[in-house]
Amino acid sequence: MKKMKRFLCLALALVMTATMLIGCGKKDKQQLIVGFDAEFPPFGYLAADGTYDGFDLAMAEELCNRLGWEFKAVPIDWNSKDTELKGGNINCIWNGFTYTGREDEYTWSDPYVDNSIVIVVKADSGIKTLADLAGKTVMAQTASSAVDGIDGNEAFKNSLKEVVQLADYNTGFLELKQGTVDAVAADIGVAAYQVAQNGSDYVILEEAVSTEQYAVGFLLGNTELRDAVNTELKKMAADGTMLKIAKNYESVGLVIDNLCMLG
Amino acid sequence: MTYQTMLSLLGQGFLTTLAIFLLTLLGSLPLGLGITFCRSSKFKPLQWLTKFYISIMRGTPLMLQLIVVFFCPNLLFGIVPPTNWRFIAVILAFVINYAAYFAEIYRGGIESIPVGQYEAAEVLGYSKTQTFCKIILPQMVKRVLPSVTNEVITLVKDTSLAYAIGMVEMFTRAKQIAVAPNSPGIVTLFVAGLFYYIFNFIVAWAMERIEKRLSYYE
Repeated sequence: MKKMKRFLCLALALVMTATMLIGCGKKDKQQLIVGFDAEFPPFGYLAADGTYDGFDLAMAEELCNRLGWEFKAVPIDWNSKDTELKGGNINCIWNGFTYTGREDEYTWSDPYVDNSIVIVVKADSGIKTLADLAGKTVMAQTASSAVDGIDGNEAFKNSLKEVVQLADYNTGFLELKQGTVDAVAADIGVAAYQVAQNGSDYVILEEAVSTEQYAVGFLLGNTELRDAVNTELKKMAADGTMLKIAKNYESVGLVIDNLCMLG
Repeated sequence: MTYQTMLSLLGQGFLTTLAIFLLTLLGSLPLGLGITFCRSSKFKPLQWLTKFYISIMRGTPLMLQLIVVFFCPNLLFGIVPPTNWRFIAVILAFVINYAAYFAEIYRGGIESIPVGQYEAAEVLGYSKTQTFCKIILPQMVKRVLPSVTNEVITLVKDTSLAYAIGMVEMFTRAKQIAVAPNSPGIVTLFVAGLFYYIFNFIVAWAMERIEKRLSYYE
């Protein structure tokens, strides 16, 4: 009987813990819950002090400070971004999020970054143009705009042997290093970051796969939140705040010339 | 990023892994016993329902179960997820999955006890509850311990599946560190592997100790 009692106690303890966790109170303050991929520098990554950092997160946090909102950054699995947004676990996606081609799927802020999908190859591979990639294997992140970019460029896609989709770019670059893929298709910011981290091992092809723009995405129809964020975002671009924040992220691969909102 | 920072960041992730591990065991070990009772129930519909539950839990990927538990309440029923729902969903999914496995392990243990012991207990005037708690359960615990150890060790490694719903446990953390500016890179993943190994080594050692303490008739 002693054992039974102990089991009951344990079960009860679990229920109580769960209730305690659920019971945490709700807040009235407007929240901006930003969903992001923490393996996507320079826009979102883990900083040495254990907090999440990146150009987009810094912008979002500053915007919240200015509006007196509560800022929350939630790292998500990029594959589940739509479900997270629909489920209300996050209320915006602000993480180098491609607007081009997804115009009708989300409610968007104005675009703030000109991005292009570029190809990274090993410096000694001899690959110089997109045409040289005929019959080769290219890696792109699952559910990313790099996949859309390749799909949109049909002649290029058909010339490839295979497009390998992986969950994150770090694995992609490891595959590139060991030769299981011949090239990585990535956003220019991500590509520049990896090249900066790995010295002269990699080069970015001059010819881009596609060009597109980044914007902040909200749940389709959530124009109220979008309008508030968009207005403040434009103010931040106009008064120099965006440029000031951007300068802190130049060393991790952010290209200031691509910030189209700065005009 | 220095190695020291890497270790302390990994350490944070390890605490989450540890929390998932402990809470899952706390929930699934007793729940498994309850499920065994339902599975062996003489009331047929309950038995069928439990069989169906076990077959779903064992027959579908744990990653899918995590996604279903986390997203379905909102997507199907429009329930607004409470604060901390991510963590609660992880625990819930792991508990119901592991309980199914533990239930089957317990059942094997219970059914391995000869019928003669039940008859002897009845002759001696033991009630059904007494028979189970005083005679069957202690023997069952001893017999199932090696299989339970197997599951517990698997659980330590399975915690990494929680990344599927954005839970930052040790492995997700290691992957984040590996791409952070100026980090030690891929080495981080091997260090995480070492954390898992050491932890499992301790778990195996502890379980062996328990086994020895329970072998009081040898």
